[in-house]
Amino acid sequence: MSTIRYDDVGQDLRRIMISGQLDKPGADAIATQLLELADGPRKAVVVDLSGVRFLASVGIGALIASAKRVTGRGGKMALVVDARSTVRMSLEATGVDQLIPVFAGISEAEKAALA
Amino acid sequence: MRNRAHLPARSWTYELSSHANDAEMRRASDWLDATCRAKHVPNEQAERLLLCLSEVLTNVIQHGGTTQPIALCLEVSIDRREASVTVSDASRAFDPLSMPRRTKPQSLAEASTNGMGLQIVRRCSDILHYRHEGGRNHLTFGMRWKAQ
Repeated sequence: MSTIRYDDVGQDLRRIMISGQLDKPGADAIATQLLELADGPRKAVVVDLSGVRFLASVGIGALIASAKRVTGRGGKMALVVDARSTVRMSLEATGVDQLIPVFAGISEAEKAALA
Repeated sequence: MRNRAHLPARSWTYELSSHANDAEMRRASDWLDATCRAKHVPNEQAERLLLCLSEVLTNVIQHGGTTQPIALCLEVSIDRREASVTVSDASRAFDPLSMPRRTKPQSLAEASTNGMGLQIVRRCSDILHYRHEGGRNHLTFGMRWKAQ
């Protein structure tokens, strides 16, 4: 299935770690919590997808909805994705990699979200 | 000894219950995953097959009609350099590949949260075709790799 957890780092940054397979059942299982976690109050949100085996369109929809929440309150969201993974392929296929910044490493993603 | 790369593909079938839902989708996905592992499909191609299966089943179940059972069936064919999955169903004839390609959103504000499944299937598949035969839709997607 899929799991979601988070760490808050100081007053500004929230790291959200998702693992498992984000097919429809997997994405449905974490979508509500992802939206709640994106609601803040921390302005910088990094979603680490390096533990996700594959990302279906339902999961991408949940990421888009979350990114809209973050940017809507003046924050920034960034994703961590393995460079040659199937997850990256899904983001590229839908053009979402051009809308939400994607990084291979967590430190780069955090810098971008905090900038 | 014969070169296994030239042996014909073997195939396996899986029938979903008439009440296809998320749990049944997951069982079908687990079955495909186990079949790929048993037949030594490389990880990358197996993940792409699972991803495409998820998108196709989601689409068929959402749009295939609910007034009568649609008799979903998977047929998996695997050889040394190629694996493909054919999803067939008895709902009304519909070729998803005839749908116009979506343009990618230019901003987060204009990005929709749904309707992206076919984009993913087109991008991830090396083989992709549709036929309507025997009163059933047959959508085939597949992946290729270099034989070891």
